[in-house]
Amino acid sequence: MKTQIKSSLRAGITFGIVTLFLYLIGFTITVSQIIQNLLKLEPDSLVLGVDALTFSFALFMGGLGFWAGARQVSVSRKGLGSALVAATLSGLVHGLIVALVAYITGTLNASGIKMNTYLSQLLPASVQLFIFNQTPAVGALSQLGFLTFMGFLGGAVSYGITVSNLFGRLAGAWRSLWGRVNDVPVIAKFRASPAFNYTVCGLILLLMILLPLRVGQYWNYTLGTVGIYVLLGLGLNIVVGLAGLLNLGYVAFFAIGAYTVALLTAPAPHGLVWNFWLVLPLGILAATLVGILLVVPVLRMRGDYLAIVTLGFGEIIRILSKSDALTFLTGGPKGVNNVGGPELFGWVFDDVGYLYLIFLSVLLAIFVTRRLQNSRIGRAWESMREDETVSRAMGINVLKHKVLAFAIGAAFAGLGGVLFAARNQFTGPEDHNLMVSINVLSAVIVGGMGSVPGVIAGAFVLKGLPEILRELENYRVLAFATLLVVMMLVRPAGILPASRGKFEIQGGGSTSEPGKEGSQK
Amino acid sequence: MKAALEARGVTKQFGGLLAVNHVDLLVPESSIFSVIGPNGAGKTTFYNCITGFYTPEKGDVLFYGESLVGLQPDQITYCGIARTYQNIRLFSTMSAIENIMVGEHSRLNANWAEAILRTPRMVREEKQAVEEARRLLNFVGLAGLGDQAARNLPYGAQRRLEIARALASKPKLLLLDEPTAGMNPNETAEMVGFVHRLRDELGITILLIEHDMRMVMGVSDRIAVLDYGEKIAEGSPSEIQNNPRVIEAYLGKPMAE
Ligand SMILES: Nc1ncnc2c1ncn2[C@@H]1O[C@H](COP(=O)(O)OP(=O)(O)O)[C@@H](O)[C@H]1O
Ligand SMILES: [Mg+2]
Repeated sequence: MKTQIKSSLRAGITFGIVTLFLYLIGFTITVSQIIQNLLKLEPDSLVLGVDALTFSFALFMGGLGFWAGARQVSVSRKGLGSALVAATLSGLVHGLIVALVAYITGTLNASGIKMNTYLSQLLPASVQLFIFNQTPAVGALSQLGFLTFMGFLGGAVSYGITVSNLFGRLAGAWRSLWGRVNDVPVIAKFRASPAFNYTVCGLILLLMILLPLRVGQYWNYTLGTVGIYVLLGLGLNIVVGLAGLLNLGYVAFFAIGAYTVALLTAPAPHGLVWNFWLVLPLGILAATLVGILLVVPVLRMRGDYLAIVTLGFGEIIRILSKSDALTFLTGGPKGVNNVGGPELFGWVFDDVGYLYLIFLSVLLAIFVTRRLQNSRIGRAWESMREDETVSRAMGINVLKHKVLAFAIGAAFAGLGGVLFAARNQFTGPEDHNLMVSINVLSAVIVGGMGSVPGVIAGAFVLKGLPEILRELENYRVLAFATLLVVMMLVRPAGILPASRGKFEIQGGGSTSEPGKEGSQK
Repeated sequence: MKAALEARGVTKQFGGLLAVNHVDLLVPESSIFSVIGPNGAGKTTFYNCITGFYTPEKGDVLFYGESLVGLQPDQITYCGIARTYQNIRLFSTMSAIENIMVGEHSRLNANWAEAILRTPRMVREEKQAVEEARRLLNFVGLAGLGDQAARNLPYGAQRRLEIARALASKPKLLLLDEPTAGMNPNETAEMVGFVHRLRDELGITILLIEHDMRMVMGVSDRIAVLDYGEKIAEGSPSEIQNNPRVIEAYLGKPMAE
């Protein structure tokens, strides 16, 4: 009982502090506005007797209180009585903290003190909202009562769900339904046959062809960026996810690809204006060569040292490209404009064309990754990641395989850079800052190290989600970071962790079609 | 009989500590040769000198007459030496059968281009690799567990998988480092039979580090005893059992449990 009270108190205090933090940074009013927009409430309309914004705010606070209470039940897992006590207690503590601050800030605000001169986000409107646009005393008491009640409610509902094992039963029902569908002979046969895989691939391909024609320029651009990040992610996945070499300067190879195409096709600074299709392989080649040159001297380094050296290398490339002294060579801080793009039978690529080209590159990269992964080389990489010392004892030339991983990773990044610069018709030093490396690495980690579907999902989360979160404006980064943290807590191995091919029972997983290993049960 | 492995005055120092001190050893082909000694005697270090992880300060290691000193561990594997580890070191997230397939690395040839293009030769080679891995899985009694992640296997199975992985390179000489550590008497007895099979069925020369005296005496053709890095005795099991220096080195230690 005592530990339970303690845990309730702690939860109440935690939720109280989090709520205050959100209040102090002005998030409470922003999120209320967002809720109001999402519910499509007119600003002047009244909902249940209160104005739309206050109502939205109450929804938000109610959600927080509910969560605080619900959490307590899953923690305690005892009888109904003690569960409700625990939930209500944490709600009460949560409410007390919030009410206290609401009262103080409300009173100060009412007496005309402008708190936003000290805490810039404590605007009068936000303070008023925090006491539900009432007098400080009434507002504070409402907060207290409301949060206590919501805690109680959260506890009751959560208890009901836990006891009735609602989610468990839902999942069970879904599983049995799914199982029954799969047991139908025709469907079972279809799923087991190669035709199923071809159908799935065909549908995805069809989607890739039709989507760019439908969604418009803005989404084509966004999808293209995501696609380029998938490409980068696939490359880094080989280096970090498979071979286990932490490379924090991956952007360097991206930059080399981008600058190769920029300097060889743009009218300034060199006036070379070569054909894109000729420059494309040159960009890949240049990145690959630099990858090999870079890795050879640092081959014997492990872990952190390698990370630091590559990090430095990435920055050096960016700083060189930015340097005034090298402006004649690289275009300097302003970058290179009018980068040339591809043309095919007189068709100058537009946004759709670029998206097709990017999709094609991604497919190629997936193909190469899969085939390498399911070979002697891929196994050697993974064994190096697991235990480099033992890997050497298996007869694996670790140095050679490290160079190979770096080279292939660099080639993918080079291709990505070429496409990026050509599509944007521009490249400059700031396209190649450290954030690119970090984002790509995050995509690999969030998606699931060593897993191709994981990298794709990770790139969508890292580059697609921020576009969707645009709505949140200033809090975009905050919300984004929170989501990433939550995701890593919920799925520590990544969204779609690598699945292992089956060799023993299925027979020759590695000799089956690429792209299907491990997806069969 | 031909010597598979010969150590000549092998010496390895860690700072001031002489971990291996002037050790001479001659392991005849197709024999089971054990190295015993108290903890810290330098047995594992001696293995590391043979397999190229340490370069001995003095002395030479010959494998069928060729010196191994200066070669990298992976090159030594290509020469035909494989080993297991005292503390199991499997590739833990990879499946059992993939672990064995990594062990086959030195016998396969496909390069990156062949892997991407999946040339007929590469496909054939892969198919054979999978078959061979399955056969080894069977040989060590792990049939049916091949698709499990190595780290999810029971302890005894992990030990046997490590041996299967070592066998995958088709070694002429196998170095086992305390293969029965942490096993119960039943499992240990099985291991004795298993080591015999390795030699008799596969014709592999075996160098064995072992703590369990019953196992050592039961399985070895010849035994060398290390103490403080020095070889203090060598001989047949019965000679070793009655050697006063050995008894002294092991005094108070579980010589015959
Ligand atoms: N890498 C190392 N660095 C320093 N000392 C070591 C190292 N490896 C082993 N030693 C020391 O060398 C001695 C022999 O160790 P080891 O060969 O592991 O013994 P054994 O395998 O016979 O139990 C021990 O005293 C050990 O502490
Ligand atoms: Mg040892």
